[in-house]
Amino acid sequence: MGMSKRGKQDSSTSPCAHLRTAYHNCFNRWYSEKFVKGQWDKEDCVSEWQKYRACLSEHLDNKHLSRFLEAQGIMDSVTQPDLRHPVSDNASGVSQ
Amino acid sequence: MVKAYTQEHIYKHPWERVTSASWRKFADPENKRTLSHVLEVDTLSHKLDPLSGKLYTTRALTVHAPGPWFVRKIIGQDICHCVESTVVDAQSKSMQLTTCNISLQKFIEVEEKIRYEPHPDNPTGWTVCRQQTSIRIKPLSALASMAEKVEQRCAEKFMQNSVKGREVMERICKYLEAESGGIAL
Repeated sequence: MGMSKRGKQDSSTSPCAHLRTAYHNCFNRWYSEKFVKGQWDKEDCVSEWQKYRACLSEHLDNKHLSRFLEAQGIMDSVTQPDLRHPVSDNASGVSQ
Repeated sequence: MVKAYTQEHIYKHPWERVTSASWRKFADPENKRTLSHVLEVDTLSHKLDPLSGKLYTTRALTVHAPGPWFVRKIIGQDICHCVESTVVDAQSKSMQLTTCNISLQKFIEVEEKIRYEPHPDNPTGWTVCRQQTSIRIKPLSALASMAEKVEQRCAEKFMQNSVKGREVMERICKYLEAESGGIAL
């Protein structure tokens, strides 16, 4: 891990840029016009999401990231964000 | 070695608008120049709980690797992937974002937690943002001697970026306010 020398290639989800923009625009609209106003019973942007996600799963070649893509079914773990591994809180040298 | 920093900021905008701005923070092309350390943002997963009004989202942020250039030389790559997980509770009006790096963990672990909630003094008009950043440099032999310095530089960079982030947030909030004609959002 970490020592990959492939540099910028790792971020090459650019083939999905159009689909990403379409989804994010749709999501932003849904979030501010519906979700925060109490209409959280259903999601919009389902087709935008499916297209974008299909593209991502094809182009996301970074193993660390695709792990999260596959983890969609078990999203409950997100409630207790443990993205890497537990970090002890009793460390010294905490300032401010 | 761990350093933790906490910051608090009050936005004079309602929670709905501030959290909307938060989603747009990295995506807006105009802000890309200000937050140029963030190269790409991808949504990896999201889930809505229609009963409780909770939204869970995981995004990948591709950022310039932290630290000074000689560290990037040593670690052999100049970008770093971070994963941001967000929980928004529309019912109780809280948004919590947790971001940490998943690359370069051998060298450094950065965790940033941001929480947006309505301000108790003006719950419908203002939003309080509490941010906690903790930075841990791994005691790696080759870097051990300069680790302290790197940690400091890293922390400074993060503080600078969070100030920039606030400026961007304020700008998007203003934009959203204007867009809605001062009503609703």
